[in-house]
Amino acid sequence: MIDDVQAQRAPAQPRRHLAADDVGIVRPRDYTHPGLFTFTSGQSIQGFTLRYETYGSLNATRDNAVLVCHALSGDHHCAGWHSEVDPKPGWWNNLIGPGKAVDTRRFFVICANVLGGCQGSTGPSSINPETGQPYGIRFPFVTIRDMVHAQKLLLEHLGVDELHAVMGGSMGGMTAMLFAIEYPSFTRRQIIMASTANESAQAIAFNEVGRQAIMQDPAWNNGDYPREGGPRVGLAIARMMAHITYLSDAGMDRKFGRRKRESAGGESYTFDAQFEVESYLRHQGQSFINRFDANSYLYITRAIDQFDPAKASGSLERAFAPVLAESLVVGFTSDWLFPPEQNREIALALLRAGKRASYAELSTDLGHDSFLLESPDLYALVRGFLERPDAYHFDFAI
Amino acid sequence: MGKLVEKRTVDMQVIGEWVEPQSRVLDLGCGRGELMAYLVQAKQVQATGVDLDFDKISACASRGLSAYQGDMTAFMRAFPDRHFDRIICSRTVHELDDPAGVVLEALRVGSTVTVGFVNHGFWKNRVDALVRGRKVRNAVYTTSWHDSRPANPLSIADFEDFCREKSIRVARRAHLMGDWRRPCAVLPNLFAGYALYDLARS
Repeated sequence: MIDDVQAQRAPAQPRRHLAADDVGIVRPRDYTHPGLFTFTSGQSIQGFTLRYETYGSLNATRDNAVLVCHALSGDHHCAGWHSEVDPKPGWWNNLIGPGKAVDTRRFFVICANVLGGCQGSTGPSSINPETGQPYGIRFPFVTIRDMVHAQKLLLEHLGVDELHAVMGGSMGGMTAMLFAIEYPSFTRRQIIMASTANESAQAIAFNEVGRQAIMQDPAWNNGDYPREGGPRVGLAIARMMAHITYLSDAGMDRKFGRRKRESAGGESYTFDAQFEVESYLRHQGQSFINRFDANSYLYITRAIDQFDPAKASGSLERAFAPVLAESLVVGFTSDWLFPPEQNREIALALLRAGKRASYAELSTDLGHDSFLLESPDLYALVRGFLERPDAYHFDFAI
Repeated sequence: MGKLVEKRTVDMQVIGEWVEPQSRVLDLGCGRGELMAYLVQAKQVQATGVDLDFDKISACASRGLSAYQGDMTAFMRAFPDRHFDRIICSRTVHELDDPAGVVLEALRVGSTVTVGFVNHGFWKNRVDALVRGRKVRNAVYTTSWHDSRPANPLSIADFEDFCREKSIRVARRAHLMGDWRRPCAVLPNLFAGYALYDLARS
Protein backbone atom coordinates (compact mmCIF):
# COMPACT_ATOMS: atom_id res chain seq x y z
CA MET A 1 0.00 0.00 0.00
CA ILE A 2 2.76 2.40 0.87
CA ASP A 3 4.74 3.57 -2.07
CA ASP A 4 8.17 2.29 -1.11
CA VAL A 5 9.82 3.17 -4.40
CA GLN A 6 8.81 6.79 -4.34
CA ALA A 7 9.84 7.07 -0.75
CA GLN A 8 13.22 5.59 -1.57
CA ARG A 9 13.82 7.77 -4.60
CA ALA A 10 13.16 10.95 -2.71
CA PRO A 11 16.36 11.68 -0.81
CA ALA A 12 15.82 11.86 2.91
CA GLN A 13 15.30 15.46 3.90
CA PRO A 14 16.61 15.61 7.45
CA ARG A 15 14.32 18.39 8.63
CA ARG A 16 11.02 17.25 7.13
CA HIS A 17 9.91 15.88 10.49
CA LEU A 18 10.08 19.42 11.86
CA ALA A 19 7.40 20.78 9.51
CA ALA A 20 4.88 22.89 11.43
CA ASP A 21 1.90 20.64 10.65
CA ASP A 22 3.76 17.42 11.38
CA VAL A 23 3.54 15.39 14.57
CA GLY A 24 7.34 15.08 14.46
CA ILE A 25 9.28 12.21 16.00
CA VAL A 26 6.99 9.55 17.38
CA ARG A 27 7.63 6.42 19.35
CA PRO A 28 5.64 3.20 19.24
CA ARG A 29 4.48 1.65 22.48
CA ASP A 30 3.29 -1.78 23.47
CA TYR A 31 0.17 -2.66 25.39
CA THR A 32 0.06 -6.15 26.83
CA HIS A 33 -3.30 -7.53 27.82
CA PRO A 34 -2.65 -9.98 30.62
CA GLY A 35 -5.87 -12.00 30.55
CA LEU A 36 -7.16 -14.82 28.44
CA PHE A 37 -8.33 -13.67 25.01
CA THR A 38 -10.90 -15.80 23.24
CA PHE A 39 -11.19 -15.52 19.47
CA THR A 40 -14.41 -15.71 17.43
CA SER A 41 -13.31 -19.22 16.47
CA GLY A 42 -13.48 -20.31 20.12
CA GLN A 43 -9.70 -20.71 20.33
CA SER A 44 -7.88 -18.63 22.92
CA ILE A 45 -4.44 -17.35 23.90
CA GLN A 46 -3.12 -16.32 27.27
CA GLY A 47 -2.66 -12.57 26.79
CA PHE A 48 -1.58 -10.57 23.76
CA THR A 49 0.39 -7.48 22.85
CA LEU A 50 -0.66 -4.63 20.56
CA ARG A 51 1.92 -2.18 19.30
CA TYR A 52 0.45 1.29 18.93
CA GLU A 53 1.20 4.97 18.54
CA THR A 54 -0.70 8.00 19.79
CA TYR A 55 -0.55 11.65 18.76
CA GLY A 56 -2.10 14.61 20.56
CA SER A 57 -3.51 14.18 24.04
CA LEU A 58 -6.64 12.87 25.66
CA ASN A 59 -8.77 15.73 27.03
CA ALA A 60 -10.17 15.96 30.55
CA THR A 61 -13.55 14.58 29.45
CA ARG A 62 -11.80 11.68 27.67
CA ASP A 63 -13.95 12.02 24.59
CA ASN A 64 -11.64 13.41 21.89
CA ALA A 65 -10.10 10.11 20.81
CA VAL A 66 -9.93 9.18 17.14
CA LEU A 67 -9.02 5.59 16.39
CA VAL A 68 -7.29 5.10 13.04
CA CYS A 69 -7.46 1.59 11.58
CA HIS A 70 -4.88 0.35 9.11
CA ALA A 71 -5.22 -1.73 5.97
CA LEU A 72 -3.86 -5.22 5.23
CA SER A 73 -0.19 -4.32 4.98
CA GLY A 74 -0.29 -1.17 7.08
CA ASP A 75 0.66 -0.79 10.71
CA HIS A 76 0.41 1.36 13.82
CA HIS A 77 2.75 4.01 12.42
CA CYS A 78 0.24 6.28 10.66
CA ALA A 79 1.86 9.68 11.25
CA GLY A 80 5.15 11.28 12.17
CA TRP A 81 8.70 9.96 11.89
CA HIS A 82 10.63 7.40 13.87
CA SER A 83 13.91 9.28 13.71
CA GLU A 84 15.46 12.37 12.23
CA VAL A 85 16.79 10.35 9.33
CA ASP A 86 13.64 8.28 8.80
CA PRO A 87 13.22 8.22 5.00
CA LYS A 88 9.43 8.27 5.17
CA PRO A 89 6.71 9.19 7.61
CA GLY A 90 3.71 7.19 8.81
CA TRP A 91 1.32 6.01 6.11
CA TRP A 92 -1.38 8.65 6.69
CA ASN A 93 0.99 11.51 7.56
CA ASN A 94 -0.64 13.70 4.91
CA LEU A 95 -3.98 13.47 6.78
CA ILE A 96 -2.94 13.44 10.43
CA GLY A 97 -1.05 16.18 12.28
CA PRO A 98 -1.39 19.53 14.01
CA GLY A 99 -3.69 21.60 11.80
CA LYS A 100 -4.24 18.78 9.30
CA ALA A 101 -7.59 17.16 8.43
CA VAL A 102 -7.32 14.95 11.51
CA ASP A 103 -6.04 17.70 13.76
CA THR A 104 -3.86 16.39 16.56
CA ARG A 105 -4.26 19.68 18.42
CA ARG A 106 -7.93 18.76 18.88
CA PHE A 107 -7.93 15.01 18.78
CA PHE A 108 -6.10 12.23 20.56
CA VAL A 109 -5.23 9.95 17.66
CA ILE A 110 -4.56 6.27 18.28
CA CYS A 111 -3.45 3.66 15.79
CA ALA A 112 -2.62 0.04 16.65
CA ASN A 113 -1.16 -2.81 14.68
CA VAL A 114 -3.91 -5.43 14.44
CA LEU A 115 -4.04 -8.67 16.33
CA GLY A 116 -2.59 -11.28 13.97
CA GLY A 117 -0.21 -8.70 12.51
CA CYS A 118 3.55 -8.75 12.46
CA GLN A 119 4.70 -5.22 13.26
CA GLY A 120 4.93 -5.76 16.99
CA SER A 121 1.47 -7.04 17.80
CA THR A 122 0.82 -10.66 18.70
CA GLY A 123 0.40 -12.81 15.63
CA PRO A 124 1.57 -16.05 14.05
CA SER A 125 5.21 -14.98 14.18
CA SER A 126 5.00 -14.45 17.96
CA ILE A 127 6.44 -17.05 20.31
CA ASN A 128 3.91 -19.50 21.67
CA PRO A 129 4.70 -19.58 25.41
CA GLU A 130 3.65 -23.22 25.55
CA THR A 131 6.22 -24.38 22.98
CA GLY A 132 8.84 -21.65 22.95
CA GLN A 133 8.47 -21.63 19.15
CA PRO A 134 6.59 -19.23 16.86
CA TYR A 135 2.88 -20.06 16.63
CA GLY A 136 2.96 -20.38 12.86
CA ILE A 137 -0.39 -21.67 11.65
CA ARG A 138 -1.20 -22.92 15.14
CA PHE A 139 -2.11 -19.32 15.93
CA PRO A 140 -5.89 -19.04 16.33
CA PHE A 141 -7.83 -17.89 13.26
CA VAL A 142 -8.28 -14.14 13.45
CA THR A 143 -11.38 -12.23 12.36
CA ILE A 144 -11.93 -8.51 11.97
CA ARG A 145 -14.13 -8.83 15.05
CA ASP A 146 -11.19 -10.21 17.07
CA MET A 147 -9.06 -7.26 15.90
CA VAL A 148 -11.82 -4.88 17.06
CA HIS A 149 -12.17 -6.58 20.46
CA ALA A 150 -8.42 -6.42 21.04
CA GLN A 151 -8.28 -2.73 20.12
CA LYS A 152 -11.19 -1.99 22.46
CA LEU A 153 -9.12 -3.44 25.31
CA LEU A 154 -6.25 -1.13 24.34
CA LEU A 155 -8.61 1.88 24.33
CA GLU A 156 -9.87 0.97 27.79
CA HIS A 157 -6.26 0.72 28.96
CA LEU A 158 -5.62 4.23 27.56
CA GLY A 159 -8.58 5.60 29.50
CA VAL A 160 -10.70 6.36 26.45
CA ASP A 161 -14.36 6.46 27.52
CA GLU A 162 -15.82 7.16 24.12
CA LEU A 163 -14.47 7.45 20.57
CA HIS A 164 -15.06 10.77 18.89
CA ALA A 165 -14.49 8.82 15.69
CA VAL A 166 -13.13 5.61 14.25
CA MET A 167 -11.78 5.74 10.73
CA GLY A 168 -9.93 3.68 8.18
CA GLY A 169 -9.54 2.70 4.56
CA SER A 170 -9.86 -0.74 2.98
CA MET A 171 -9.57 -3.30 5.82
CA GLY A 172 -9.40 -0.29 8.15
CA GLY A 173 -12.89 0.62 6.94
CA MET A 174 -14.10 -2.87 7.88
CA THR A 175 -12.57 -2.45 11.32
CA ALA A 176 -14.27 0.93 11.74
CA MET A 177 -17.61 -0.49 10.57
CA LEU A 178 -17.44 -3.31 13.09
CA PHE A 179 -16.45 -0.95 15.89
CA ALA A 180 -19.68 0.98 15.33
CA ILE A 181 -21.65 -2.29 15.32
CA GLU A 182 -19.96 -3.97 18.30
CA TYR A 183 -19.65 -0.88 20.52
CA PRO A 184 -22.53 1.44 19.53
CA SER A 185 -22.57 3.75 22.52
CA PHE A 186 -18.76 3.94 22.49
CA THR A 187 -18.50 5.09 18.85
CA ARG A 188 -19.87 8.51 17.92
CA ARG A 189 -18.68 8.85 14.33
CA GLN A 190 -17.15 6.57 11.76
CA ILE A 191 -15.40 7.20 8.47
CA ILE A 192 -15.18 4.29 6.08
CA MET A 193 -13.08 4.73 2.93
CA ALA A 194 -12.49 2.47 -0.06
CA SER A 195 -14.00 -0.45 1.81
CA THR A 196 -16.69 -3.08 1.50
CA ALA A 197 -19.22 -4.84 3.69
CA ASN A 198 -18.32 -8.09 1.95
CA GLU A 199 -15.68 -8.81 -0.61
CA SER A 200 -16.59 -9.78 -4.15
CA ALA A 201 -15.53 -13.13 -5.60
CA GLN A 202 -12.88 -11.26 -7.56
CA ALA A 203 -11.31 -9.76 -4.43
CA ILE A 204 -11.36 -13.13 -2.66
CA ALA A 205 -9.80 -14.66 -5.76
CA PHE A 206 -6.88 -12.24 -5.68
CA ASN A 207 -6.28 -12.96 -2.00
CA GLU A 208 -6.38 -16.69 -2.70
CA VAL A 209 -3.73 -16.41 -5.41
CA GLY A 210 -1.58 -14.50 -2.92
CA ARG A 211 -2.05 -17.20 -0.30
CA GLN A 212 -1.28 -19.94 -2.82
CA ALA A 213 1.93 -18.16 -3.86
CA ILE A 214 3.00 -18.29 -0.21
CA MET A 215 1.82 -21.81 0.57
CA GLN A 216 3.22 -23.32 -2.63
CA ASP A 217 6.65 -21.92 -1.82
CA PRO A 218 8.54 -24.90 -0.30
CA ALA A 219 10.09 -22.56 2.25
CA TRP A 220 6.66 -21.98 3.74
CA ASN A 221 6.92 -25.46 5.24
CA ASN A 222 3.40 -25.54 6.64
CA GLY A 223 4.00 -22.25 8.38
CA ASP A 224 7.12 -23.37 10.26
CA TYR A 225 10.07 -21.28 9.21
CA PRO A 226 12.76 -19.24 10.93
CA ARG A 227 12.10 -15.56 11.52
CA GLU A 228 14.56 -14.40 8.86
CA GLY A 229 13.66 -17.08 6.34
CA GLY A 230 10.40 -18.43 5.10
CA PRO A 231 8.57 -18.20 1.79
CA ARG A 232 10.22 -15.03 0.58
CA VAL A 233 9.57 -15.78 -3.09
CA GLY A 234 5.94 -16.60 -2.50
CA LEU A 235 5.35 -13.56 -0.31
CA ALA A 236 7.03 -11.25 -2.83
CA ILE A 237 4.85 -12.61 -5.63
CA ALA A 238 1.74 -12.25 -3.47
CA ARG A 239 2.66 -8.64 -2.80
CA MET A 240 3.45 -7.87 -6.44
CA MET A 241 0.09 -9.16 -7.56
CA ALA A 242 -1.83 -7.52 -4.74
CA HIS A 243 -0.11 -4.24 -5.43
CA ILE A 244 -1.55 -4.22 -8.95
CA THR A 245 -5.03 -4.47 -7.44
CA TYR A 246 -4.33 -1.33 -5.37
CA LEU A 247 -3.62 0.74 -8.49
CA SER A 248 -5.61 1.38 -11.65
CA ASP A 249 -5.00 0.96 -15.34
CA ALA A 250 -5.03 4.72 -15.93
CA GLY A 251 -2.89 5.37 -12.86
CA MET A 252 -0.27 2.83 -13.89
CA ASP A 253 -0.28 4.21 -17.39
CA ARG A 254 0.32 7.70 -16.08
CA LYS A 255 3.01 6.59 -13.67
CA PHE A 256 4.90 4.09 -15.84
CA GLY A 257 3.40 3.89 -19.30
CA ARG A 258 5.65 1.69 -21.44
CA ARG A 259 8.75 3.45 -20.22
CA LYS A 260 11.83 1.30 -20.00
CA ARG A 261 14.54 1.40 -17.39
CA GLU A 262 17.57 3.41 -18.43
CA SER A 263 19.81 0.40 -17.92
CA ALA A 264 17.66 -1.80 -20.18
CA GLY A 265 18.80 -1.48 -23.79
CA GLY A 266 16.06 -1.67 -26.39
CA GLU A 267 17.68 -4.69 -27.96
CA SER A 268 18.07 -6.73 -24.79
CA TYR A 269 16.40 -10.07 -25.35
CA THR A 270 16.38 -11.15 -21.75
CA PHE A 271 13.88 -11.63 -18.96
CA ASP A 272 15.47 -9.04 -16.75
CA ALA A 273 13.20 -6.22 -15.75
CA GLN A 274 13.01 -3.93 -18.77
CA PHE A 275 9.91 -1.89 -18.16
CA GLU A 276 9.76 0.49 -15.25
CA VAL A 277 6.59 -1.16 -14.05
CA GLU A 278 8.46 -4.46 -13.74
CA SER A 279 11.24 -3.06 -11.60
CA TYR A 280 8.68 -1.15 -9.56
CA LEU A 281 6.76 -4.33 -8.75
CA ARG A 282 9.95 -6.28 -8.06
CA HIS A 283 10.98 -3.59 -5.63
CA GLN A 284 7.54 -3.68 -4.00
CA GLY A 285 7.88 -7.43 -3.53
CA GLN A 286 11.43 -7.23 -2.19
CA SER A 287 10.79 -4.46 0.30
CA PHE A 288 7.63 -6.20 1.50
CA ILE A 289 9.40 -9.44 2.45
CA ASN A 290 11.69 -7.46 4.73
CA ARG A 291 8.83 -6.05 6.73
CA PHE A 292 5.98 -8.54 6.58
CA ASP A 293 5.45 -12.05 7.83
CA ALA A 294 4.03 -14.56 5.35
CA ASN A 295 1.79 -16.27 7.92
CA SER A 296 0.37 -12.91 8.98
CA TYR A 297 -0.42 -12.31 5.32
CA LEU A 298 -2.38 -15.58 5.24
CA TYR A 299 -4.25 -14.78 8.46
CA ILE A 300 -5.14 -11.20 7.64
CA THR A 301 -6.25 -11.86 4.05
CA ARG A 302 -8.41 -14.68 5.43
CA ALA A 303 -9.93 -12.28 7.97
CA ILE A 304 -10.71 -9.81 5.19
CA ASP A 305 -12.26 -12.51 2.99
CA GLN A 306 -14.49 -13.74 5.79
CA PHE A 307 -15.68 -10.28 6.81
CA ASP A 308 -19.42 -10.25 6.20
CA PRO A 309 -21.46 -8.60 8.96
CA ALA A 310 -24.67 -9.14 6.99
CA LYS A 311 -24.26 -12.91 7.08
CA ALA A 312 -25.01 -13.40 10.77
CA SER A 313 -27.85 -10.89 10.84
CA GLY A 314 -29.54 -11.82 7.58
CA SER A 315 -29.03 -8.42 5.99
CA LEU A 316 -26.66 -5.51 6.20
CA GLU A 317 -29.32 -3.13 7.51
CA ARG A 318 -30.09 -5.57 10.31
CA ALA A 319 -26.38 -5.79 11.08
CA PHE A 320 -26.32 -1.99 11.30
CA ALA A 321 -29.39 -1.87 13.58
CA PRO A 322 -27.39 -1.22 16.78
CA VAL A 323 -25.23 1.52 15.23
CA LEU A 324 -25.48 4.93 16.93
CA ALA A 325 -22.54 6.56 15.15
CA GLU A 326 -22.93 9.05 12.36
CA SER A 327 -21.26 7.60 9.33
CA LEU A 328 -19.31 8.96 6.42
CA VAL A 329 -18.51 6.56 3.58
CA VAL A 330 -16.10 7.58 0.85
CA GLY A 331 -15.66 5.77 -2.45
CA PHE A 332 -13.12 6.39 -5.20
CA THR A 333 -14.03 6.14 -8.86
CA SER A 334 -10.94 4.21 -9.98
CA ASP A 335 -11.03 1.69 -7.11
CA TRP A 336 -11.83 -1.63 -8.76
CA LEU A 337 -10.89 -3.76 -5.74
CA PHE A 338 -13.56 -2.28 -3.43
CA PRO A 339 -15.40 -0.25 -6.06
CA PRO A 340 -17.71 2.73 -5.42
CA GLU A 341 -20.74 0.46 -5.72
CA GLN A 342 -19.68 -1.55 -2.65
CA ASN A 343 -19.06 1.64 -0.68
CA ARG A 344 -22.43 3.02 -1.76
CA GLU A 345 -24.06 -0.13 -0.46
CA ILE A 346 -22.61 0.49 3.02
CA ALA A 347 -24.12 4.00 3.10
CA LEU A 348 -27.45 2.84 1.63
CA ALA A 349 -27.78 0.03 4.16
CA LEU A 350 -27.06 2.45 7.00
CA LEU A 351 -29.74 4.79 5.64
CA ARG A 352 -32.21 1.94 5.19
CA ALA A 353 -31.56 1.07 8.81
CA GLY A 354 -32.58 4.65 9.68
CA LYS A 355 -29.05 5.82 10.57
CA ARG A 356 -27.37 9.10 9.80
CA ALA A 357 -24.97 8.39 6.95
CA SER A 358 -23.36 10.23 4.07
CA TYR A 359 -21.69 8.97 0.94
CA ALA A 360 -19.14 10.99 -1.02
CA GLU A 361 -17.17 9.94 -4.06
CA LEU A 362 -13.88 11.28 -5.33
CA SER A 363 -12.73 11.10 -8.92
CA THR A 364 -9.15 9.86 -8.92
CA ASP A 365 -7.01 7.57 -11.04
CA LEU A 366 -5.06 6.07 -8.14
CA GLY A 367 -7.27 3.00 -7.72
CA HIS A 368 -7.86 1.39 -4.34
CA ASP A 369 -4.94 3.30 -2.79
CA SER A 370 -6.77 6.56 -3.47
CA PHE A 371 -7.71 6.89 0.18
CA LEU A 372 -4.04 7.75 0.82
CA LEU A 373 -4.32 10.49 -1.77
CA GLU A 374 -3.12 14.02 -1.21
CA SER A 375 -6.44 15.69 -1.96
CA PRO A 376 -7.65 19.00 -0.51
CA ASP A 377 -11.21 17.82 -1.26
CA LEU A 378 -10.73 14.71 0.85
CA TYR A 379 -9.09 16.72 3.63
CA ALA A 380 -11.99 19.20 3.68
CA LEU A 381 -14.51 16.37 3.80
CA VAL A 382 -12.78 14.57 6.66
CA ARG A 383 -12.10 17.75 8.62
CA GLY A 384 -15.68 18.99 8.18
CA PHE A 385 -17.12 15.68 9.35
CA LEU A 386 -14.79 15.35 12.34
CA GLU A 387 -14.79 18.93 13.58
CA ARG A 388 -18.49 19.67 13.33
CA PRO A 389 -20.01 20.10 16.81
CA ASP A 390 -22.28 17.30 17.98
CA ALA A 391 -25.33 19.55 17.74
CA TYR A 392 -26.59 20.59 14.32
CA HIS A 393 -24.88 23.65 12.96
CA PHE A 394 -26.83 26.31 11.06
CA ASP A 395 -25.22 29.24 9.36
CA PHE A 396 -28.33 31.02 8.17
CA ALA A 397 -31.33 32.68 9.72
CA ILE A 398 -34.81 32.63 8.30
CA MET B 1 -28.47 37.99 -4.81
CA GLY B 2 -30.32 39.29 -1.77
CA LYS B 3 -33.57 38.96 -3.62
CA LEU B 4 -32.76 35.39 -4.59
CA VAL B 5 -31.88 34.41 -1.03
CA GLU B 6 -35.18 35.87 0.10
CA LYS B 7 -37.06 33.88 -2.51
CA ARG B 8 -35.27 30.73 -1.42
CA THR B 9 -36.42 31.20 2.15
CA VAL B 10 -40.03 31.71 1.03
CA ASP B 11 -39.82 28.36 -0.70
CA MET B 12 -38.51 26.85 2.52
CA GLN B 13 -41.24 28.40 4.63
CA VAL B 14 -44.05 26.88 2.53
CA ILE B 15 -42.40 23.47 2.54
CA GLY B 16 -41.76 23.87 6.25
CA GLU B 17 -45.45 24.37 6.86
CA TRP B 18 -46.31 21.20 4.97
CA VAL B 19 -43.72 18.94 6.57
CA GLU B 20 -44.88 16.89 9.55
CA PRO B 21 -42.66 17.17 12.65
CA GLN B 22 -40.22 14.30 13.20
CA SER B 23 -40.99 12.81 9.82
CA ARG B 24 -38.47 11.11 7.57
CA VAL B 25 -37.66 13.43 4.69
CA LEU B 26 -35.62 12.96 1.51
CA ASP B 27 -34.44 16.03 -0.39
CA LEU B 28 -33.67 15.37 -4.05
CA GLY B 29 -31.03 17.80 -5.28
CA CYS B 30 -30.19 18.86 -1.73
CA GLY B 31 -27.32 21.22 -2.61
CA ARG B 32 -25.47 22.40 0.47
CA GLY B 33 -28.33 21.32 2.70
CA GLU B 34 -30.06 24.67 3.36
CA LEU B 35 -33.56 23.23 3.17
CA MET B 36 -32.63 20.12 5.17
CA ALA B 37 -30.97 22.23 7.85
CA TYR B 38 -34.07 24.39 8.09
CA LEU B 39 -36.41 21.40 8.33
CA VAL B 40 -34.23 19.74 10.96
CA GLN B 41 -34.23 22.94 12.97
CA ALA B 42 -37.88 23.87 12.52
CA LYS B 43 -39.53 20.45 12.37
CA GLN B 44 -36.95 18.08 13.87
CA VAL B 45 -37.18 15.89 10.79
CA GLN B 46 -34.83 13.06 10.00
CA ALA B 47 -33.39 14.36 6.74
CA THR B 48 -31.38 12.76 3.95
CA GLY B 49 -30.30 14.51 0.78
CA VAL B 50 -29.10 13.39 -2.62
CA ASP B 51 -26.89 15.42 -4.91
CA LEU B 52 -24.43 14.77 -7.71
CA ASP B 53 -21.75 17.17 -6.58
CA PHE B 54 -18.93 16.25 -4.18
CA ASP B 55 -18.57 19.74 -2.70
CA LYS B 56 -22.28 19.86 -1.87
CA ILE B 57 -22.10 16.52 -0.06
CA SER B 58 -19.00 17.70 1.75
CA ALA B 59 -20.85 20.86 2.86
CA CYS B 60 -23.79 18.77 4.13
CA ALA B 61 -21.48 16.41 6.04
CA SER B 62 -19.77 19.36 7.70
CA ARG B 63 -23.08 20.60 9.11
CA GLY B 64 -24.19 17.21 10.35
CA LEU B 65 -26.62 16.37 7.57
CA SER B 66 -26.86 13.00 5.84
CA ALA B 67 -26.22 13.34 2.13
CA TYR B 68 -25.58 10.85 -0.62
CA GLN B 69 -23.57 11.59 -3.75
CA GLY B 70 -25.16 9.94 -6.73
CA ASP B 71 -28.09 9.59 -9.06
CA MET B 72 -31.42 10.24 -7.33
CA THR B 73 -33.38 7.53 -9.14
CA ALA B 74 -30.72 4.90 -8.43
CA PHE B 75 -30.73 6.06 -4.81
CA MET B 76 -34.50 5.72 -4.47
CA ARG B 77 -34.45 2.26 -6.05
CA ALA B 78 -32.36 1.08 -3.09
CA PHE B 79 -35.25 1.72 -0.68
CA PRO B 80 -38.47 -0.14 0.05
CA ASP B 81 -41.94 1.30 -0.62
CA ARG B 82 -42.89 4.29 1.54
CA HIS B 83 -39.54 4.34 3.34
CA PHE B 84 -39.72 8.13 3.48
CA ASP B 85 -42.67 10.14 4.77
CA ARG B 86 -41.96 12.92 2.33
CA ILE B 87 -39.74 13.37 -0.69
CA ILE B 88 -38.97 16.92 -1.73
CA CYS B 89 -37.99 17.92 -5.23
CA SER B 90 -37.59 21.66 -4.93
CA ARG B 91 -36.43 23.63 -7.96
CA THR B 92 -34.82 20.54 -9.42
CA VAL B 93 -37.56 18.98 -11.53
CA HIS B 94 -36.80 21.09 -14.62
CA GLU B 95 -33.20 19.85 -14.72
CA LEU B 96 -33.92 16.12 -14.57
CA ASP B 97 -33.18 13.69 -17.39
CA ASP B 98 -36.36 11.78 -16.71
CA PRO B 99 -38.73 13.93 -14.65
CA ALA B 100 -41.68 11.53 -14.90
CA GLY B 101 -39.47 8.61 -13.85
CA VAL B 102 -38.19 10.51 -10.81
CA VAL B 103 -41.64 11.65 -9.68
CA LEU B 104 -43.14 8.19 -10.08
CA GLU B 105 -40.25 6.52 -8.24
CA ALA B 106 -40.56 9.14 -5.51
CA LEU B 107 -44.25 8.29 -5.22
CA ARG B 108 -43.27 4.66 -4.58
CA VAL B 109 -40.57 5.39 -1.96
CA GLY B 110 -42.32 8.32 -0.30
CA SER B 111 -45.82 8.67 1.12
CA THR B 112 -45.96 12.27 -0.07
CA VAL B 113 -43.96 13.98 -2.78
CA THR B 114 -43.47 17.74 -2.73
CA VAL B 115 -42.54 19.37 -6.03
CA GLY B 116 -41.68 23.04 -6.26
CA PHE B 117 -40.88 24.83 -9.51
CA VAL B 118 -40.67 28.22 -11.16
CA ASN B 119 -43.71 28.74 -13.40
CA HIS B 120 -42.55 29.50 -16.91
CA GLY B 121 -46.11 30.39 -17.84
CA PHE B 122 -45.84 33.47 -15.58
CA TRP B 123 -46.89 36.53 -17.60
CA LYS B 124 -43.55 38.30 -17.27
CA ASN B 125 -41.82 35.30 -18.82
CA ARG B 126 -44.36 35.31 -21.65
CA VAL B 127 -43.87 39.03 -22.27
CA ASP B 128 -40.13 38.62 -22.04
CA ALA B 129 -40.17 35.86 -24.64
CA LEU B 130 -42.54 37.88 -26.87
CA VAL B 131 -40.67 41.17 -26.64
CA ARG B 132 -37.07 40.04 -26.36
CA GLY B 133 -37.40 36.86 -28.30
CA ARG B 134 -34.66 35.33 -26.22
CA LYS B 135 -34.18 32.80 -23.44
CA VAL B 136 -35.87 33.95 -20.25
CA ARG B 137 -33.56 35.82 -17.89
CA ASN B 138 -34.71 37.15 -14.55
CA ALA B 139 -33.88 37.12 -10.85
CA VAL B 140 -34.09 33.32 -10.81
CA TYR B 141 -32.67 32.49 -14.24
CA THR B 142 -29.77 34.88 -14.35
CA THR B 143 -27.56 33.24 -16.98
CA SER B 144 -27.71 33.31 -20.74
CA TRP B 145 -28.31 30.08 -22.64
CA HIS B 146 -24.64 29.26 -23.14
CA ASP B 147 -23.85 29.55 -19.44
CA SER B 148 -26.88 27.52 -18.31
CA ARG B 149 -27.32 23.87 -17.52
CA PRO B 150 -29.74 22.01 -19.78
CA ALA B 151 -33.18 22.82 -18.48
CA ASN B 152 -36.68 21.71 -19.27
CA PRO B 153 -38.81 24.73 -18.33
CA LEU B 154 -42.37 23.92 -17.37
CA SER B 155 -45.51 25.80 -16.48
CA ILE B 156 -48.24 25.17 -13.93
CA ALA B 157 -50.52 24.02 -16.75
CA ASP B 158 -47.85 21.56 -17.93
CA PHE B 159 -47.56 20.14 -14.43
CA GLU B 160 -51.31 19.85 -13.93
CA ASP B 161 -51.54 18.00 -17.25
CA PHE B 162 -48.78 15.66 -16.15
CA CYS B 163 -50.52 14.80 -12.86
CA ARG B 164 -53.79 14.14 -14.66
CA GLU B 165 -52.15 11.98 -17.30
CA LYS B 166 -50.27 9.86 -14.71
CA SER B 167 -53.28 9.70 -12.35
CA ILE B 168 -51.30 11.36 -9.59
CA ARG B 169 -53.43 12.80 -6.82
CA VAL B 170 -52.69 16.43 -5.97
CA ALA B 171 -53.14 16.62 -2.20
CA ARG B 172 -52.19 20.28 -1.88
CA ARG B 173 -51.21 23.22 -4.09
CA ALA B 174 -49.58 26.55 -3.36
CA HIS B 175 -49.42 29.11 -6.15
CA LEU B 176 -47.45 32.23 -5.27
CA MET B 177 -47.45 35.55 -7.05
CA GLY B 178 -44.39 37.00 -8.79
CA ASP B 179 -43.01 38.07 -5.42
CA TRP B 180 -43.19 34.41 -4.29
CA ARG B 181 -44.96 35.56 -1.18
CA ARG B 182 -48.63 36.41 -1.68
CA PRO B 183 -50.88 33.58 -2.73
CA CYS B 184 -52.20 33.67 -6.28
CA ALA B 185 -55.93 32.96 -6.43
CA VAL B 186 -56.80 33.49 -10.10
CA LEU B 187 -55.33 32.20 -13.32
CA PRO B 188 -52.22 30.78 -11.66
CA ASN B 189 -50.63 29.69 -14.91
CA LEU B 190 -50.55 33.36 -15.91
CA PHE B 191 -50.11 35.14 -12.59
CA ALA B 192 -48.16 32.76 -10.36
CA GLY B 193 -44.38 33.00 -10.32
CA TYR B 194 -43.84 29.88 -8.25
CA ALA B 195 -45.78 26.70 -7.62
CA LEU B 196 -45.60 23.99 -4.97
CA TYR B 197 -47.45 20.70 -5.08
CA ASP B 198 -47.96 17.88 -2.63
CA LEU B 199 -48.50 14.68 -4.56
CA ALA B 200 -49.74 11.28 -3.48
CA ARG B 201 -50.54 8.04 -5.19
CA SER B 202 -54.17 7.92 -6.20
